[in-house]
Amino acid sequence: MALTTAPDPTRRGPGSVRAHAERRRPGRFRHSEGLAGYVFLSPWLIGLMGVTAVPMLLSLYLSFTNYDILTPFSEVEWVGLANYERMFTADPSYWHAVRVTLTFALIAVPLKLAAALGVALLLNRAWRGVGLFRGLFYLPSLLGGSVALAIVWVNMFNRDGAFNSLLSLFGIQGKPWVNDPDWALETLMVLAIWQFGAPMVIFLAGLKQVPTELYEAASVDGAGRFRQFRNVTLPMLSPVIFFNLVLETINGFQGFTAAFVLSNGTGGPVDSTLMYTLNLYITGFTDLNMGYASAMAWVFLLAIAVITAIFFSTGRFWVHYSDGEDR
Amino acid sequence: MHPATPPTTDAPVGRTHRTALPRRRLLRGLLAVTVAAPLMFGAAACGDDDGAADPNAPVKLSIFWWGGDARAKLTEDALALYTKKHPNVTFEKTWQANQGYFDKLATLTAGGNPPDLFQIDDNYLAEYAARNTTLDLTSYQKSGKLDTSKFPESLWQYGVVDGKLAGLAAGENTQGLVYNKTLLTKNNLPEPTTGMSWEQHIAWAEQVTAKTKVPGTQDPSADYKAFWVWLRQQGKDLYKGKELGFTAEDVTTWFDLWKGARDRKATPTADVIHEGNSSDITKQLVVTGKSATSWVWANQMPDLKKNTKDELGVVAYPGDPSAQWARASMYWSVFKGSKNKDVAVDVINFLNNDQEVVKLLGTDRGLPSNLDLRRVVSDDATDPAMKQSIAVEAELTQKFGTSPQVPIKGHSKVKSELIKAAENAQYGRATPAQAAAQFIEACKSAIA
Repeated sequence: MALTTAPDPTRRGPGSVRAHAERRRPGRFRHSEGLAGYVFLSPWLIGLMGVTAVPMLLSLYLSFTNYDILTPFSEVEWVGLANYERMFTADPSYWHAVRVTLTFALIAVPLKLAAALGVALLLNRAWRGVGLFRGLFYLPSLLGGSVALAIVWVNMFNRDGAFNSLLSLFGIQGKPWVNDPDWALETLMVLAIWQFGAPMVIFLAGLKQVPTELYEAASVDGAGRFRQFRNVTLPMLSPVIFFNLVLETINGFQGFTAAFVLSNGTGGPVDSTLMYTLNLYITGFTDLNMGYASAMAWVFLLAIAVITAIFFSTGRFWVHYSDGEDR
Repeated sequence: MHPATPPTTDAPVGRTHRTALPRRRLLRGLLAVTVAAPLMFGAAACGDDDGAADPNAPVKLSIFWWGGDARAKLTEDALALYTKKHPNVTFEKTWQANQGYFDKLATLTAGGNPPDLFQIDDNYLAEYAARNTTLDLTSYQKSGKLDTSKFPESLWQYGVVDGKLAGLAAGENTQGLVYNKTLLTKNNLPEPTTGMSWEQHIAWAEQVTAKTKVPGTQDPSADYKAFWVWLRQQGKDLYKGKELGFTAEDVTTWFDLWKGARDRKATPTADVIHEGNSSDITKQLVVTGKSATSWVWANQMPDLKKNTKDELGVVAYPGDPSAQWARASMYWSVFKGSKNKDVAVDVINFLNNDQEVVKLLGTDRGLPSNLDLRRVVSDDATDPAMKQSIAVEAELTQKFGTSPQVPIKGHSKVKSELIKAAENAQYGRATPAQAAAQFIEACKSAIA
C-alpha cells in the first residue's frame, strides 16, 4: 500500500506537502523515495516512450493519413476516416483476412487447449520417465513461432512430403496439403495445435494445486473418475483454463510467422492463409500503404481488446477461485 | 485500487484540480514530441544537399543490395577496386537475400536514413521515383560523368520514369523459356524454338507430357512477365501511362488459353503450378523435375543449372520475339538526399564501364550493360550455362522491340492480384471470365 501511494505526493508538488505540516516528514520521505523510484524506472520509462508509446501514437496519427512509408512525414496528407471507410466498405480482401483469422482462431485455439489439458492430465501422474515426456511435449512450443519449424512443416506436408509417405503405407492417397487452398489453413492449424506445450505446462502447474483431499472426499462420496474430473478438477482448474484461453486466443489472432513462411509471404494459395497480420504486413510493406496498414492495426487492437473484455465478463460465470471471498 | 487511496479522497477539491495539470502538460509535451520528432528527422534528411567541395575529402558511402553470397563476394571485390583507385572513398556495405530486401529499404527510407547507393528493380523503381526518393541522373548522363554511350539505347531508357533517369541498369536480361534438354533427347522429342506460336508451344508440351509423363510446360497464367510478353504480341501492353494497357477480354483470353492447356494435360496440376510460382529459383519446376519447362529470366540459367544434373536449354517465350525487350535486370539508384551524390554516381559509372570490374562481375547482375565490355565478358565466359544465356540474349538482341515504360506505382499489387486471379481459375474456383473480371477490379483500386 505504502509503495503504491508513494508517487502521489510528488505529483501534488512540494507546495501541497508543506501546507500539511503534520505530514511534512513522512511526506518528504515519500517524496525522495518516489523520486528515486522514478530515477530507477527511467530507463524503462524512456524505452516505453521511445519504442512503444510514441510509435503507437504516431501510428494512430498515420492511420488518418495516406502515408506510404517512402514519403517524408512532413508531406503526408490527412485523409480523415478514409482508411477506415475503405477497410469496412471497399476492401474485400480485408474481410477475407478477417474470416480466415476467425476460422483459424475458432478452431485451432479450443483444440490446442483441449490437447494441452488432455496431455497435462496424462502427465500429472507419478510414473517413471514422466519428466522426459513433459520435456518432449514442451519442446515444440519452445521452438515457438520459429521460421525453421514452419519450413519443416511445409516440407512435411508437401505432396511428396513425409506425411503423405506415411499415409501411402496405409494405402491412402495424400493431398498436396500446403499447396491446396482447401487444406493450407488446416495444415497451419495442425501446426498451431501441435505446439501445445506452453499451455500444457501451465495446466500441469494448475493440476498440482488441486488439493488431494477433494478427490479423496469425492471418491468417498462415490464419485467416479469422470465425475471427479467434472466436479473437482474442472472447477478448481478454471482460473488456469481462463488464463490459457485468453492468452492463446490473443496468440491465435496474431498468428503470422507460419502463414508467412508457408505462403512465401503472399497468403496463398488463393489467399487461403491470408491471416489478418499477414494482410496487414503485405499492405504496409509490399503495397506501401502504411497509413492504411496503421488503420488496420488499430482496428485489430480494438477487436482483441473487445474479445478479451468479453472473456472477462463471461468469466464471472464459470471461473471459480477457491479463495473467492477475498476478491 | 489507486483512485480510492485515502490521501486523494481526503484532498480538498482545489488540490486534485492542481494535480491534473502536470499530467495534462505531460500529455501535451508527448504529443509535441510525437509531431516534432519526425519533422526534425525529416528536416535532417533533407539538409546538406551540397556535395563536398574537396575531391580528396574522405567519403564513406553506404551501399545496399540484395543477392546471395557469390554476388556479395563479387561486389565487395569490385568496391575494393574502387577504393584502391580512390583511397578517400570507403564503403559501408549491407546486403541480404531478396526476401525482405524491399521492406528494409522502405523502412530505412522512412527513417530518413536510406543508403547513398542502392540496388532496385523495375517492380519498385517507379514507386521510389514517383516519391522523389531517387536522384535524377539525367544531368550526369548529359555531362558524361555517367557514361551510357555504349549502352543499348532501350536499356538505359528502361530506367526513365516521368522523364527522369531514376536508375541505371546494372545489367540486362530478358524473358527466357528454360527446358530440360536431357529429358527431351532421351525421349527423342524436338526442342522448343524461338518464334514458335503459343498454340505450337502448348501442342509440343502436350506431346512431352504424353511421352515422358513429365508435364511439358508450367502454366504461366499467374506469371506477369509471360502475360506481359503475350500482351505486347497482341499490340497491347501492361501499362499505358498511368492506366492499365489491357482489358478484361484480354485477361479472359489469356486465362482461357491456359485453361485449355491444363485440360490437355500440357501442364502440371494447380498445386504443382502454385509450388513453382511461389518458390525461389532453386525450386523451379524444371530443376525439381516436375515440369519440362520453366518461365524465368534468361540470366537465371546459371542459377538453375546449379540445381540440376540435367542439361538445360533456353529460348525466347513463344510468339513473336520482338515483344521481348532489353530489360534492366536491376538498377543502381542514388538516394536524392545523399551527401555524396557525385561519388555515388561515379561508383555506378565505375561498376558499369570499367573493364576490369565488369570482367570481375561477369553476368551476375545480368549481361553487362556496356556492349563493348559485354563482348569481352562473353569471350571470356567458361561456364556453359552462362555462355548459353549470353548466346540467347545476343541472338535476341537483334529481334528485341522497344522497351515498355517502367511499371507504375501499384505494380507489386497488380502482380499479386494476377497470381490470385490466375490461381482462382487454376484451382477451378472461378471461370476464366470471372477471374479476369476480379483481376481488373482489383487492379483498378491498386493503381488508383
